[in-house]
Amino acid sequence: MNCYVEIARVSYRRHRAHRAANIAGLATNGFFGLVRSFVFLALYRARPEAEGYVLLDALTYVWVTQALIMPVMHWGWLEIAQTIRDGDVISDLSKPVSFFGYWLSRDLGRSGYYVLYRFVPTLCIGLILFPMRLPEHLTTWIYFTLSVLMAAVLGFCVLFLINITGFWTTDVRGINSVVLTAVNFLTGFIVPLEFFPPAARAIAEVLPFAGMISIPINIFLERATGLAMLGLLGRQALWVCMLVLACHVTLAAATRRLVVQGG
Amino acid sequence: MDSLTVYWRLISAQIRGQMQYRVSFLLQLLGSFSTVFAELLAVLILFRTFGEMAGWRVGEVALLYSLVAIGFGLSELVSEGFDDMSVLIRMGDFDRILTRPIPAFVQVMSSQFALRRLGRIAHGVVALTLSHWWLRLAWSWVDVLLFLLALAGTAVVFFSIVLIGAAICFWTTERTEVQNVFTYGGTEVVSYPMHIYNRWLRSVFLWVVPLGLTTYYPVLHILQKTDPLDMPGWLPFVGPLIAPLFFGVALLIWRTGMDHYQSTGS
Repeated sequence: MNCYVEIARVSYRRHRAHRAANIAGLATNGFFGLVRSFVFLALYRARPEAEGYVLLDALTYVWVTQALIMPVMHWGWLEIAQTIRDGDVISDLSKPVSFFGYWLSRDLGRSGYYVLYRFVPTLCIGLILFPMRLPEHLTTWIYFTLSVLMAAVLGFCVLFLINITGFWTTDVRGINSVVLTAVNFLTGFIVPLEFFPPAARAIAEVLPFAGMISIPINIFLERATGLAMLGLLGRQALWVCMLVLACHVTLAAATRRLVVQGG
Repeated sequence: MDSLTVYWRLISAQIRGQMQYRVSFLLQLLGSFSTVFAELLAVLILFRTFGEMAGWRVGEVALLYSLVAIGFGLSELVSEGFDDMSVLIRMGDFDRILTRPIPAFVQVMSSQFALRRLGRIAHGVVALTLSHWWLRLAWSWVDVLLFLLALAGTAVVFFSIVLIGAAICFWTTERTEVQNVFTYGGTEVVSYPMHIYNRWLRSVFLWVVPLGLTTYYPVLHILQKTDPLDMPGWLPFVGPLIAPLFFGVALLIWRTGMDHYQSTGS
């Protein structure tokens, strides 16, 4: 266990070295947050409320999504696929640590970095520029933290699965862009799932992707309380188990057919 | 051989090369299409929920949206080479470019032709079709001409932004992230009517980076809507003509950058 904590810590520290890149990314998040806030300000002139979202909720939604995107999804990465391509994956697979655990720890280290250096500042920018709804109850923050942690694991599993398609195909880049687009949409990052047409909404809400953005936001906005909120967290936890299992099964299938071409 | 002939030869070689890996190309095309199509879908979902946006109906925003998407897609087809400018400089490849008897501008531009960006253009055409379906606009010849002019102007402005970004690499070597705010961020801003923004954000995208002039004003005229910002009535026609001026500025920055260029020594 100690070893995984260490891997996460090294990953965290490595990201802290890229300060300029983070500031640039922060500016981008801030800019998109700004533009999308104006979009909702304009839309809410037509009606004061939609699917239980008032303007204040929508503005909060905008800034929390911009803040969450890096800790949860990192816009995707192809690092594992790269090691499959150049053969380094062999040395990673032969290490006395779990391959899945190794990459998960690395990714959680990265998520931890982005929570501190991207989530917090992005939310602060939003709070300075626009009115927002912060959680009323202290316990909401605890549940929200738990929810974001599970969201990060879900996000990692999706990216892990995309990456290890590299064992079967050389077109990971193409698969990555198609899948990530669909995933982004189904997380509720681009528009809240609540605004989807009823049938699409019902499907999107039971898929694992809702656990990556939509559920954390609903908890943050305190749209679900008591048992309903525990239900949301439970659904997230269930998907975490399923996706972790899926990752292991797929990886096992991949390594069974792996042929090493010397080196 | 003049530059244009060289450009066409290199580009057609590029296209033939990209077509060799048919499946890979189709996947990239699909990726490019679906990424942007998700944005369009999002706009449609928002309009389904709210009905209108600051006095604009869904078909009207779709027209504006299609103009931005096609314009940006056209510029992306040819600007990809400039996007990789920092790599060219860092790897020392730009030194080699300078030794050849063809303008550096032409060589960098012909180093990449991003055929997969046709995905963005295709989705712009989908938006345009939807807009026509909803609005049933009676396009006059003037409208069609204005739309094409606006399209060309928008493409030129987006291209100029990337060119400026590439020129900045002569000083910084690294690609600056700010460019994304004006390209990708720019498409987001001008895909919606400019009057929804506050004064300073609007001013930046009208008078500093003139994207609003090549998109919002021509579309206002085509839709025969009154301008909530009370600008002069000739602005829709003059707006797109600002684009070559902006390109001139970008070219000037590029030239200055090239004079400043010192090899990285790699």
